[in-house]
Amino acid sequence: MAATLQLSESDSVETTDRLLEVKDLKVEFRIEDGVVRAVNGLSYGLSAGETVAILGESGSGKSVSAQAIMGIIDSPPGFITGGSVKFEGRELLTMGDEERRKIRGNDIGMVFQDALSALNPVYSVGWQIGEMFRMHRGMSRKEAKAESLRLMERVKIPDAAKRLRAYPFEFSGGMRQRIMIAMSIALDPKVLIADEPTTALDVTVQAQVMDLLAELQTDYGMGLILITHDLGVVAEVADRVIVMYAGRGVEKGTLKEVFGQPAHPYTEGLMRSVPRSDVRVDRLEPIIGNPPDLLRLPKGCAFQPRCPYEQEDCLVDEPPLVEVEPGDSDRATACLHWEDVYR
Amino acid sequence: MSATQPVEIISPEADNSVPLLEVRNLVKYFPLTRGILFKKKIGDVKAVDGVSFTLRAGETLGLVGESGCGKSTTARTILGLEKATSGEVIFEGRNIVGLGKEEMREIRRDMQVVFQDPYSSLNPRMTVASIVAEPWRIHDDLVPKNKQRSQVLELLELVGLNPNHANRFPHQFSGGQRQRIGVARALALQPKLIVADEPVSALDVSVQAQVVNLLEDLQAEMGIAYLFIAHDLSVVRQICDRTAVMYLGKIVEMGEELDVYQNNRHPYTSALLSAVPVPSADQSHRRTRIRLEGDVPSPSNPPSGCRFRTRCWKATEICKTTEPAFENVGGEHFMACHHPEEVAV
Repeated sequence: MAATLQLSESDSVETTDRLLEVKDLKVEFRIEDGVVRAVNGLSYGLSAGETVAILGESGSGKSVSAQAIMGIIDSPPGFITGGSVKFEGRELLTMGDEERRKIRGNDIGMVFQDALSALNPVYSVGWQIGEMFRMHRGMSRKEAKAESLRLMERVKIPDAAKRLRAYPFEFSGGMRQRIMIAMSIALDPKVLIADEPTTALDVTVQAQVMDLLAELQTDYGMGLILITHDLGVVAEVADRVIVMYAGRGVEKGTLKEVFGQPAHPYTEGLMRSVPRSDVRVDRLEPIIGNPPDLLRLPKGCAFQPRCPYEQEDCLVDEPPLVEVEPGDSDRATACLHWEDVYR
Repeated sequence: MSATQPVEIISPEADNSVPLLEVRNLVKYFPLTRGILFKKKIGDVKAVDGVSFTLRAGETLGLVGESGCGKSTTARTILGLEKATSGEVIFEGRNIVGLGKEEMREIRRDMQVVFQDPYSSLNPRMTVASIVAEPWRIHDDLVPKNKQRSQVLELLELVGLNPNHANRFPHQFSGGQRQRIGVARALALQPKLIVADEPVSALDVSVQAQVVNLLEDLQAEMGIAYLFIAHDLSVVRQICDRTAVMYLGKIVEMGEELDVYQNNRHPYTSALLSAVPVPSADQSHRRTRIRLEGDVPSPSNPPSGCRFRTRCWKATEICKTTEPAFENVGGEHFMACHHPEEVAV
């Protein structure tokens, strides 16, 4: 009795507290060769001022899950087949196009990995940043230009006034990424989704861009969803972590919890296989095998063919997401034998 | 600082008497031109501007640096894929800069390469078996025709691929497996040196470690030396005996693992290391980092004196006027800076 009461209480807290609430999201792509379940059950919440990292390798579904939240999945072939995405309590997945468009940009901004292809090559960067204000806020060209300048200064582009009229190709990779960040924060969004924002950058420039994102997040109180394959970047900025494998969120918790004491064999495997710049080990311990073919996922747990903890029951059903700390739905793992890992 | 005699480092698998590879003052400029019909040379991109190092048999030397620092051009020039502007590349005691095609072909038997992109470096129309056996078509005295098949299968097994897949095509393999195919091809001629240009950076983390371990195992077994080019300092620390840090066409610091990763003296090395995020739950050091301002200057117009001075927080007048010498600071440790970092105790 007490247990159920507690559960419903925490449920209601979640819906009021959280800016964004993703529940059991499912996205599939129907292609010639079959159906790819790119996202196959992903749940997490995001509060204002918080950074949630979605960590996964290529094909894990991390980027697709972000595109689903933004409502920018090409359909067909992509279809959202289940789940819910609530922004401030409003369901995004069933919302009309017009309303959705207002939320995108206004309330939820997005930064992509490849700024060169995300920016329009034939318009000056000042014009492109200004477009956000002209389209969404109905500003005049002059007002929009002033806003563009303010933003370019805000993201620390040197000589901003001069650079307003420059084109994307005239900027270095790091500066282009700053311009895209300027566009994404133009309308003061409450949520910023950054999809591999620094992957194409050199480390010293990556550090600058991550610092900028962290600074903007603090100033504007945004919730930040950071999508990355880089465990180091996660460790650097995340408050909480969702680990994805083959379309599922297989483990989640705070950074300390997930990296400090993994409760899923895949997370543990990643931590052991990644080399570190601060220490050298005798030998890396790789995860055996290869990432799964999403068209031919193994039965039961998708990680089971590569898993050192694998037992017979792993071959039967997909393991459900279970709470590691009873009562804390934010600390969970999808492994039948997680207690063997979590020691 | 006490005067330093050259210190011989004794490592079990390396023969220290003659280095396998010695690069002396290597320079590679690419001309910058203007005009289409009447091309006029207006300057040079100084991609590699006086790089020197040695590599011993069975040793791994890492070349690290950010994009545009010249690490890949250095590798390509050593391999003879680019013509050196000046300098020497001495392989087994012989200068191979400017050698003819025929002679270079012989040298390349001992000097193979593994590329970054396992997707574009394998011919999609060839089976794995024919890809791995291809070097023998050029060096046709090495393995007799009737033994080739069995040797291919052995090589596949050696790099951890299923020999039963010898007749498959590259697209039927994952990224990590393709990189293994590339390694098998490089091993076919039993080279003494493999130049590996970003061999693991296109791979997923969980697979990267497999390939790193494979390279280490092959070295232990066959005594191959690696020139390992990468932008990822973590991977380089793990796999390399010595590391050379490059900035704008020059090596700024070089040494053994602890020289570079712990007792580093050059400010650029410090900045680079402190920018690399560490995958650890303990983030007490999160905000105590050195931050470099701005981007790397253009290699067509590098700063005078020390090339790092425009981004260096320690730079003074002398850095502008005088290029710092590349000095030995003890053992195998070299660096070029007027204001080196304090040695950590």
